[in-house]
Amino acid sequence: MIEVLVKSVIQLILLLLVAPLVTGIIRTLKARLQTRRGPGIGQPYRDLFKLLRKGMVIPNTASWIFSATPYIVFGTAALVGLMIPMTATDAPLSLFGGVLAVVYLLALGRFFLALGGLDTGSSFGGLGSSREMTISAIAEPAMMLAIFTVALSANSTNLSEMARSAVSQSWRFLAPSQILAFSGLFIVLIAETGRIPVDNPATHLELTMIHEAMLLEYSGPYLALIEWGASIKQLVLMTLLVNTFFPFGLSSSWMVSGLSLGLVFYLLKLLLLACCIVLVETTNAKLRLFRVPELLAVAFILGALALISTFLF
Amino acid sequence: MNLATLFGTLQTKFGKQVESMHAEHGDEAYIFLGDPNIRPITEYLRGELQARLVSVFAEDRRSREGVFFNYYVFEQRGDTQFLIVRAPVPAADPRFPSLSAELPAVNWQEREIQDWFGLTAVGHPNPRRVALHDNWPDVHPLRKDFPIDTVLPPFEGERHIYRPALGEGVLQVPVGPVHAGTIEPGHFSFAVAGEPILYLQLRMFYTHKGTEKLFEKLPIHKAVFLAESISGDSSFSHGTAFCQAIERAAEIEVPSDALIMRTVLLELERLCNHVADIGAIATDVGFVVANAHASRLKEMLLAANEQLAGNRLLRGMVCIGGVRRAWGAWQVELLRVAIDAFTREFRDLVALINSSESTRDRLEHTGILKPEIARDLGIVGVGGRASGIDLDVRRDHPYAAYRHLSFKVPVYQVGDVWHRMQVRIDEVQESISMIREAASRNLSGQFRVPVPPIPPNRCALSAVEGWRGEIIHWIRTGSDNRLERCKIKDPSLNNWPALVEAVQGNIIADFPVINKSFNLSYSGTDR
Repeated sequence: MIEVLVKSVIQLILLLLVAPLVTGIIRTLKARLQTRRGPGIGQPYRDLFKLLRKGMVIPNTASWIFSATPYIVFGTAALVGLMIPMTATDAPLSLFGGVLAVVYLLALGRFFLALGGLDTGSSFGGLGSSREMTISAIAEPAMMLAIFTVALSANSTNLSEMARSAVSQSWRFLAPSQILAFSGLFIVLIAETGRIPVDNPATHLELTMIHEAMLLEYSGPYLALIEWGASIKQLVLMTLLVNTFFPFGLSSSWMVSGLSLGLVFYLLKLLLLACCIVLVETTNAKLRLFRVPELLAVAFILGALALISTFLF
Repeated sequence: MNLATLFGTLQTKFGKQVESMHAEHGDEAYIFLGDPNIRPITEYLRGELQARLVSVFAEDRRSREGVFFNYYVFEQRGDTQFLIVRAPVPAADPRFPSLSAELPAVNWQEREIQDWFGLTAVGHPNPRRVALHDNWPDVHPLRKDFPIDTVLPPFEGERHIYRPALGEGVLQVPVGPVHAGTIEPGHFSFAVAGEPILYLQLRMFYTHKGTEKLFEKLPIHKAVFLAESISGDSSFSHGTAFCQAIERAAEIEVPSDALIMRTVLLELERLCNHVADIGAIATDVGFVVANAHASRLKEMLLAANEQLAGNRLLRGMVCIGGVRRAWGAWQVELLRVAIDAFTREFRDLVALINSSESTRDRLEHTGILKPEIARDLGIVGVGGRASGIDLDVRRDHPYAAYRHLSFKVPVYQVGDVWHRMQVRIDEVQESISMIREAASRNLSGQFRVPVPPIPPNRCALSAVEGWRGEIIHWIRTGSDNRLERCKIKDPSLNNWPALVEAVQGNIIADFPVINKSFNLSYSGTDR
């Protein structure tokens, strides 16, 4: 019991600290590719710090849903973060069916975020929520299919089990099923984290926003919680991608030496994935809104093909 | 058409209504009517002579001649002459027939006359207020008996009532007047069914500053600065249009070197704004890298502007009688180097945008403005040329040094965002070659002539092709180095309604990029 607690605390601290760092790195890399200097990789920390100290403006029309949403978004993201292996193959927590719980906890957070967008009755929030739901309706099954492919080859939906099996056959990612699943999951990652070509995280145009439109009424600590939660969710999805497909350096135990080596490997892998995301974001324009489902359908088909090919090869 | 022939024809057709006719400054022909009934003569000019109604405006002449005058400015394709029809509106019965039902292009302009002069446009299909908002008290600020220092009581009463959009699942999305980002205020009320836009209602004139009234107060040489601030991104074009009007009225001969310099600076202003717009269109579809490069290119030009004019936005350079400072050989050389570098980099920028399939996919077939609608609405400038409206003041009524330069006017029929960007790209290339040609001349001659006292009671019209499109200034000089009236028409005034048509059937998420592809001025519209 104490062991679980200690592991959870360590991983939670890691999550809370690394998540804004990844956001900062992505933003800085993007700025550099746009010949800008950018505000530096520490900016997300400064933003969170600033927001947490500020007062809040809560619309008169808001109900309890509006106030509950930030906690739910943050809480589900952090909980999911404790269920995935970050530096060691053993995740601190393993709840109700592992990877299925991951998918549905994330969905719960998103569901409440959409409700929070609708709750105030502002038209932009409504636009954002309806768009978010349209996209997630396809993104979710695509994610499930891709993850099931990995689960099948590991014979378990427990994420720690999946990681262990991946470590034991570390070149498995070259298998066709894994490559297809990885591609599908990468598209889902782009969509779920609100990045170009699906959504533009840097826009000021309310009419084009998806994720940001739902947050327009939030301010102060609530906004900080949602932003932090969103960056943790991004980190979780990225971790899922790097650790289940490329398990290099995952420590098999929670010893200090193994963990620190694991951490170095983990950060390197995240950095590589961040570079990929930045390249996709920089070289593409945002898709037409009605084209986004087409892109996600591609992710879905990739996932389906991945699943089928597990049985073929 | 020959002026005497036209006068004969008009007199036989309309008899006594056509009182007199005279030409001024070579290419302005004034036709004076005896009564306000403008309809038959407009029908004839538009129908048989294929003339285009450029602008409609009013003037309060009650103190001198006992009436208001309405002016209708026409132009004919292939004729550099403007035809200005003047119709009196009696002070006792201030009503004039509206042309908006047949000619939607004058919709807002007639309503401006209603609001500012208190003349009623009889038969206007939508006579609600446009230039003064609904909660203004019942005043008419451009009347001469309205002192400029009047302090109005706090505004009360109903704000503008938008037409309701009804139907199952139809939602009204209000946007503005305060927007995210650094843009000016304007209210957009969308009626949407899900994502597609059914109907857009616009409300402008939040930045109405009484500019036309202010012109009547300032000494003329100071009014040049006011003209430069009508629309911040068109400082030089508006400034030039104003100076040209004064120069025509006072018959000042501007030295040819100054005309060339004005031409170069007008084209530099076009370059800066076009390249910034190309970048902004790319930003609005999320292709931010293109904007990063476009901003860099714009900065190169702004830096050159500062060396040439002492101001990055070219303010304070144009003056009555020429330009304010001469260019040394080093400045001309600097311009040449800057343009060479810009040309190379601009080619890369265009290649970058063309290579991005996803950008092209977003811009093509988005926000289509059909040519026939553009014609009805009287769309001018970039937006017009992308929709088959072949107008360009530089070619049609040459001013400055344009009659000595050769250039093409790009015209497309498609009218989508991609082609509005394409018009800009083509015009940038034309501007580059124009600047090159103009800057190859020896510019060491006289750049400014002394300005004699401006004679009173002279009228003059001046047209300039700003980067957005046709800018019109019409002035009547007064005594004591002041103006009696200064009418300003920014191209944005005509073009805003085009946005309403172009967005219909598009999804609301595409509105920002459609809006950006027109990039209209709020300040220039509202004045």
